[in-house]
Amino acid sequence: MDHSASHASMIEYLKTEILRDPDAEIEPHTPLVSSGLIDSFSLIQVVQELEKITALRIPASKVAPRDLDTVSQMFATAARVGMPR
Amino acid sequence: MSQVSILYAAAVLVVWMTARVSSSRPFRLWIYLAASWIFYFSLDARFLPLLVLSSVFNYHYGRRIRRRPRVALLWAGALVNVALLGVFKYLPAFQALFPDSPFWQHVRQIALPLGLSFWTFQALSYLFDQYRGDETRPSLGEFCLYMGFAPTVMSGPICRVGDLVPQFRAPFAGSWESVREGAQGVWVGVGMITLARMLAAGHGGFGVADAFALRGPLGTADAWVMLLGYGFQIYFDFAGYSRLVIGVARMFGFQLPENFDRPYLSTSVTSFWQRWHMSLSFWIRDYVFLPLAMSRREVWWRHVSLVISMAVFGLWHSASWLFLLWGVYQGLMLVGHRLWQQLRRGAAPIGPRWLRSAASWLLTFLVIILSWTLFRAEGASHAAGILTAALIPAAGLQLPGGFVLLVLGLVAGYFASQLAVSRIPQRAPGLLSWLPMPARFACYAAIFYLAVFRAAEAQGFIYAQF
Repeated sequence: MDHSASHASMIEYLKTEILRDPDAEIEPHTPLVSSGLIDSFSLIQVVQELEKITALRIPASKVAPRDLDTVSQMFATAARVGMPR
Repeated sequence: MSQVSILYAAAVLVVWMTARVSSSRPFRLWIYLAASWIFYFSLDARFLPLLVLSSVFNYHYGRRIRRRPRVALLWAGALVNVALLGVFKYLPAFQALFPDSPFWQHVRQIALPLGLSFWTFQALSYLFDQYRGDETRPSLGEFCLYMGFAPTVMSGPICRVGDLVPQFRAPFAGSWESVREGAQGVWVGVGMITLARMLAAGHGGFGVADAFALRGPLGTADAWVMLLGYGFQIYFDFAGYSRLVIGVARMFGFQLPENFDRPYLSTSVTSFWQRWHMSLSFWIRDYVFLPLAMSRREVWWRHVSLVISMAVFGLWHSASWLFLLWGVYQGLMLVGHRLWQQLRRGAAPIGPRWLRSAASWLLTFLVIILSWTLFRAEGASHAAGILTAALIPAAGLQLPGGFVLLVLGLVAGYFASQLAVSRIPQRAPGLLSWLPMPARFACYAAIFYLAVFRAAEAQGFIYAQF
């Protein structure tokens, strides 16, 4: 999956499964955690989806919520700390 | 030297003037560090070497973790910090298990270093962040200042190295505007602390502590009034203290994390824990809940992780069954809210929106106020007595009428002021900022009078004991 398709896939997931609002406006740089759109509980689901999209394993001890605040940061974090499955 | 004393205010002024005229960043850093260590020394001279030792150890250990990010190394470093907490904070509690042992009698005498739980948690977050590859690379001086920073060393807010160190490196940001903003925070903080002291001192010499010392069968009204009194005392005390230190730091141009955001207005337990002792709540989220919850994929494990995390939150305060139960109770309430949300997802809303909000607020408020029983009670049977009185209707009122009126008056006044603030749009945040200047000045003068002239009656900050 290329870069923009990955981002689009994650944004779609966030809208339908996390926010449950297909009309929500989410851009790659929209703050999600710091703005309160995503709580810590939902963040676990988001990381699992990120692992699915990137086909990487993201070690729990290597990520913090601030690393996952935007869709862009999520993929940058996955590239930085993700390990092949 | 308390943080509401005149001497403290004078010391802040001297350091501010020195920092203002200094153009050298390293000089300013050492001025801040010297002032912070002198401040800590003035509060508890015995434990300054421990703070310095912990700072130096964690600084070098963090560098080592950064060079070799191995999980075993991280846990060894974390263990050293937890052991430090264990010796000073948790070990003395075990004396109760061995009441006749001379060894444990000695252990019981171990004093708690001031702010230990706060600066040890800052050290732990530094180690975890270095392991995660955080880009912040503090110098030894910067790290020592991060650990012993005068405004936060006693009772937080718990800061992160990535938030504070870049501010130490920036040019002096203390301006007249920041002084004005900071002073407003200080005044609001002092005002809230004064309200907490009014509840502690009570009416006619009968305060919150006297209410909790009552024995014998309590009426339902007794239980709820004393819980309300304590709930607001601890809120005014700790939120006021946090406002004060954030204000002092703001005068120097520093931006510290908020610690409270009007938590008693929350309409869910989840929202409450995003607005009460936020710096510890987010610490627990980042370094306990998320790693734990991400270690398994099942949904039930997330619920278990939430309860475990809140149990850790409770035990952070003290090694006692009641604090553990308090944490577990909060965890179960959070899980209950989560399950309720899932149950209601897609269902048609019941009643008008304002009624749903009011009902959610009232339920959250009662759940939280009730939980202070476990936080404040002096033992299991004491807690059981208060809970029984609160939950099973019982007539009678042991509390003096003056105390009841004081508590209910302050609670009603708080909510009325919040309602007034929320109805005045586009005003700066703060309890008094919506008032016209003469009225605000009169309030500041009253607060100053109460703060200075009633200081002798003051009790220590509740959170200083943690």
